[in-house]
Amino acid sequence: MHQKFSKEVTKITTNLKNLSKYEDEMWLCARCGDCSLADKTVASNRDVYLPCAIKNVLGFEAFAARGRIMIMNDLLNERIPLSNDIVDWAHTCTTCKSCMETCTATADGINLPDMIEALRRDLVQNEFVMPKHQVIEDSINELGNPYKEPSGKRLELFGNRVWPETAPVIYYVGCTSSYREQEIARTTVELFDKLGIDYTVLPEEQCCGSVLLRLGRTKSFERITKMNLEQMKAAGAQTIVTACAGCYRTWKIDVPNEGYKYDFELLHVTEFLDRMVGEGKVSFESPKPLKVTYHDPCHLGRHAEVYEAPRRVIESVENVTLVEMETNKRYAHCCGSGGGVKGSFGNLANDVAGNRIREAEETEVDVLITACPFCHKGLVDGAKHIDSELPVVDLPEFLLPFVRKGRKRIMAENPLKKKFMTYLTAHPKIFEGLKKGATIDYDLEGDRFHVFVTGKSQIDVNPVRAENPDVELIFAPKAVEKLITFDSEDEYAARFGLFFKEPTDDEWIKFVLRLNIVKLLMKGYRKFAQKAGLI
Amino acid sequence: MTVVGSSKNHPLYSELVSITDEERVNDNQVIIAAYAQDACHLEAEKPGIIVMPNSVEEVQEIVKLCARTKTPIVPAGGRNGICGAVLPRVPNVVMLDMVNMDKVIKIDEDVMTVTIEAGLRWAELIHRLDEKDYKLGFRGPYGGNVGTVGGSVSINSIGYAASKYGPSTEGVVSLEVVLANGEVIRTGTGWNPDAQLFGRYSTFNDLTGIFLGDHGTLGIKTKVTLKIYPKAEFFTYGDFGFKTLTEATDFLLEAQKYGFTEELILLADRQSTETFFPGLLNKHKEVQAFISAIVQETDLQLANRKMEILREMSEKFGAKDIGNFAAQMHWSEMFNLVQPLYNNGFWLNTCHLRPINRIPEVMDRMWAIFKKYKLLDNDIKWIASCLAADRAYATGWITIFVPTKDKMEMALKAWNEMLDEIFDTGACPYWSGLLWEERAVKKADKNFLDTYWKIKKALDPENIFAPEVFKGGN
Repeated sequence: MHQKFSKEVTKITTNLKNLSKYEDEMWLCARCGDCSLADKTVASNRDVYLPCAIKNVLGFEAFAARGRIMIMNDLLNERIPLSNDIVDWAHTCTTCKSCMETCTATADGINLPDMIEALRRDLVQNEFVMPKHQVIEDSINELGNPYKEPSGKRLELFGNRVWPETAPVIYYVGCTSSYREQEIARTTVELFDKLGIDYTVLPEEQCCGSVLLRLGRTKSFERITKMNLEQMKAAGAQTIVTACAGCYRTWKIDVPNEGYKYDFELLHVTEFLDRMVGEGKVSFESPKPLKVTYHDPCHLGRHAEVYEAPRRVIESVENVTLVEMETNKRYAHCCGSGGGVKGSFGNLANDVAGNRIREAEETEVDVLITACPFCHKGLVDGAKHIDSELPVVDLPEFLLPFVRKGRKRIMAENPLKKKFMTYLTAHPKIFEGLKKGATIDYDLEGDRFHVFVTGKSQIDVNPVRAENPDVELIFAPKAVEKLITFDSEDEYAARFGLFFKEPTDDEWIKFVLRLNIVKLLMKGYRKFAQKAGLI
Repeated sequence: MTVVGSSKNHPLYSELVSITDEERVNDNQVIIAAYAQDACHLEAEKPGIIVMPNSVEEVQEIVKLCARTKTPIVPAGGRNGICGAVLPRVPNVVMLDMVNMDKVIKIDEDVMTVTIEAGLRWAELIHRLDEKDYKLGFRGPYGGNVGTVGGSVSINSIGYAASKYGPSTEGVVSLEVVLANGEVIRTGTGWNPDAQLFGRYSTFNDLTGIFLGDHGTLGIKTKVTLKIYPKAEFFTYGDFGFKTLTEATDFLLEAQKYGFTEELILLADRQSTETFFPGLLNKHKEVQAFISAIVQETDLQLANRKMEILREMSEKFGAKDIGNFAAQMHWSEMFNLVQPLYNNGFWLNTCHLRPINRIPEVMDRMWAIFKKYKLLDNDIKWIASCLAADRAYATGWITIFVPTKDKMEMALKAWNEMLDEIFDTGACPYWSGLLWEERAVKKADKNFLDTYWKIKKALDPENIFAPEVFKGGN
């Protein structure tokens, strides 16, 4: 008595050569459906809630990662053919990575965004295309931007300003800020001027190519990247700053992945400002109390793992209180604009953005801040779409009126945090066994710092919350007071374990695992747990 | 809104749209492809059309339409079951994707019940109850992030907190079910329109039980009323290692009889523990079987005392106290425990129930199969775990993980032998589905099945609900 595995013999379609590279990874999707319907708010202290913003609008399972992988398997197995329906369906994914962040089936999560982009490349190569995407590609090839705008008009928004030929900092404006969301470019420039930054812009900036990669049109990427790199080099760039999350992700991740090297530092404007705030070079003050919330752009957050820098900048503004939305940081719902969705299906993008606006409205804040011109455009349109009056502003625009140069906001510092950091710095052996890159976040009654493992028994202890920790450790103050009395790392570890295993009202430690167990073990946490007597 | 439009080929397309709306009906093969499997490897017919109802009234109209046209209908919840129960057996089925029906209708604090729409997911329900300082008894299957309450109680699902409260179906007080004629029945005290939904057994016989575990064959569940309890905030945890599986199962049975634990789970051999929690037993070379215990109480002293008693009890069975890290992780990773195991490959499961005392017997047979097929040499890992349930039985979750597609044929041979041996050692699968049905129907007493079919014919004369289910076909 044997049961059948499959009705069909597997046969790979040869003309889906990009997608077929992911066949083994698709095999590991066991269709648990977390990517579609998960709610882990109670269960695991992960703030996932119905993670697929597109599925939340379109309803059917076909639009969440689980369904998409089933469909892609059917394409590979020739159970369903390529068609215009497949083209439409494939371009409804914002590649926001929310599903991947939710997925614990593999160490990194099943990589649906890359699979979708691979399929889109196959669609283009098989001549299943959306005509409007061809228009975008042609526009980038001919004019250097996807909006069919004259290339010579790119810098017009800055008036007759004469830009220096070289400068240590280059503001990479991006097409959307140059042509559509010009207020973001203007306020960023005004902010930089106010802060006294020595910077310039590229004389003939080209599109970063994000839209081409997202739509599976990779042919022109090489040419425009080379043009931009040549200009950056000629301008003597040490630091490139962009206010566009899409450009940032492209330069930070895609450009190196495509084999290009550069020796300048790349920062998103939120990181740049965070650094200045941290160095005491700038501070901000709102004349009246404001409650704000922050929407994480997917390209800045999930794709590039910058979550805390924008929050630190916002929280540095005197009189401003940051209130988080129900989904935030790595589990934040997408605004619906990315991955070519807004250009392909504008109404769908508006519906998704409308849902995000509703989520923001639930926080009862005065302002919704984001840090990406594309998200800004999408969210403004989404607000209009649902008749919301919630103001949506980009971070530089929000900060500009609040600049208070040179005076740092005084934040109360927990003396125990400082002692704990000093103790850990002096006892790096505690972290023996953890691999380079392991990151542990420490929470002492809301005061955060993190340990970053830089090598064998080598650590950096940083006074701020980690962008993307593996584990968050929450301590009762009494537990810390006890722990920092031990000279021996073994004694520390033993007591650490005891506080977890046998907590009392005053002395306890709690864990929040931000990675699944497989990935934690890969990063060397087994030894850490054994030393602590946990296993 | 709609992006991928319907093909409009299904004969009921227009009428289904008129009952619901265009955005919630689709028969395009691209859309349907995403409903053609659940979370196991088995396959059956693809649905003919997908409908996402928003209300019981819509479900009633859809059922009436299907009855009138003799069109088969299959309800679906989160579709992350692992036995193929949700997969249609016949072509052209109208599949109801019930996840839009996810409202909490009422938390009745006077009688300690919660009434919800059947498409609500367990994790969401826990969240909603937690806000009001209540908890469920049974918390949901291990896939309860996605698994819906309606889906679970339709297939006798089992999982979190079953050690104390029994499987999903034990917590049910009342059901609202749309019958084949489109009329609605409310079971339990729901027979009295003026009564609160406070009890399952009253005045007449237990009609709730007819629909529980019916695999969607007798009606469409639209509401479920469950028992709730005060939220208990105090936990104690224990991990115990045993030199033999026999000692471990003896302890499991003894501890389970006392009913102290919210969750009491056995990992039947070192390999299972290593697959589940690599490195956990590195320092405990003598340990062959492993048990985690979780106690949850409204009082800390009570929680501590219960764990003390369990520790004392475990010593009688030669247990080694190995802390509580695994137990804490087990509970805190609720609904997210199983997914990292997929990293080992696609899973072939054998989920069933058995008396605790027959666990060693089945494991002897499983180990023989694992050895015969040289599973570890072929990179096929396994997990044999048993969740104590109710008073003296347990789940048999013996699962192998196939790392690559090319190993599937060999793995399926091993898996089929496992299913035979499991049945041979007194198993009763809790769900049936494509996974177990052929074997279960062959094994079933004739009078038992005949009685079921009489009920089916009486309630569903046109055989529209999940046709062919429980017939044993494959």
